[in-house]
Amino acid sequence: MMESRSPRVSVEGFEGPLDLLLELIEEQRLDVLTVRLGDLADAYLTRVRGLAELPAEEVALFLVLASRLVLIKARSILPQATTEELESAGADEAELRQRLLEYQAVRERAAALRARLDEGRRAFHREGGTPVELPPRGGDSGALAAAWQKVLELARSAREQEMVTPVERYSVEERATEIEELLHVRQAVSFSTLLLERPTLRFAIVTFLAILDLFRRGAIDLEQEALFDDITVVRRGVNRTSG
Amino acid sequence: MDELRAAIEAVLFVAEKPVTVGDLARATGARPRDVEHALAALEELRASSGLRLQRDGDAWRLVTSPESARAVTAYLGADRLRISHAALETLSVIAYRQPATRADVESIRGVNCDQTVETLLARRLIEEVARADRPGRPILYGTTWEFLECFGLSSIDELPRVLTPEGERLDEATPREFAEPIE
Repeated sequence: MMESRSPRVSVEGFEGPLDLLLELIEEQRLDVLTVRLGDLADAYLTRVRGLAELPAEEVALFLVLASRLVLIKARSILPQATTEELESAGADEAELRQRLLEYQAVRERAAALRARLDEGRRAFHREGGTPVELPPRGGDSGALAAAWQKVLELARSAREQEMVTPVERYSVEERATEIEELLHVRQAVSFSTLLLERPTLRFAIVTFLAILDLFRRGAIDLEQEALFDDITVVRRGVNRTSG
Repeated sequence: MDELRAAIEAVLFVAEKPVTVGDLARATGARPRDVEHALAALEELRASSGLRLQRDGDAWRLVTSPESARAVTAYLGADRLRISHAALETLSVIAYRQPATRADVESIRGVNCDQTVETLLARRLIEEVARADRPGRPILYGTTWEFLECFGLSSIDELPRVLTPEGERLDEATPREFAEPIE
């Protein structure tokens, strides 16, 4: 209820035709269950006139409800109304009343949810899930040592290259072309072969990027039997399901 | 029983997603019925702690208690959810009647709800739960775990019941309310 007391001066304040009608009823301290809806037709129309700034489509929604109210009112005051007409007017009013009640309930509930939200009594779940990072399956300490060895070698050779050779200029495109040409001759080649004996860091990176690029272009397929295994680069279209 | 309760709590602690009774039964080797009893016991045990059980259908998870929200929010630096009046109305229709279609929401609110439904979807407060078995097979929406979380509810059965002067009559007006929770 407090929700509806908030100032509603702007047209944006009204959520829709039903909201506006409910506002009128509450302002006049009437009961949705007993108010003669037809009596509200004039007041409603006055309000709708103030909604000129709304897009035509939305104003139309308000007008539909306004015309219903006018119809209800007209039927109730016409002396020559037949029983049938009175009945249909009654049914129409009852249906509208029902919708108002329903909408009123929704507004109350929205207010109750808002109150809960404002209390800030929310719950949190644990973000990210599993706290324990499980090691990859199938890894053993020997493989770890070997991998570490490779890293050390790579680092050493990178240092040597830095000291001895000038920085080579090798583009990803060039390397990709080389690999493609190689794959014309052979169907498959392993990544370690592509890296050659003692690759510089730059050469390794360029080769890796070239492979990613070829894969993206659909020129090659990539296979890896197990985690940390050597990657096999296969020419696209070659069937190697035998594994 | 205490052992099973502890095991279930431990599984819920490490779980990345809500866990169904079936999964809990498989993990603990207990019968589903015993799992449910243990969950009820756990719920009671947790009531005075900083953690609570949250349920949607037959899936469960551990969350922080609404009472500790202030501290957790301060620690996480989380923002309070900002939600417009229109979106909240749409949300309340879906929450109390779920599952509900856009047309259901629109017929009650009397205005187009596309925008607000999109907003609620984007914020993951609602989600598609099924398609209605009627012409056009419209999408049925229901609330999410995020919804329960944002409003600090342990399940949709806990939605605040609004008592207006017309209280009872209002409930008659919306007979579909408090229907079976969606699985």
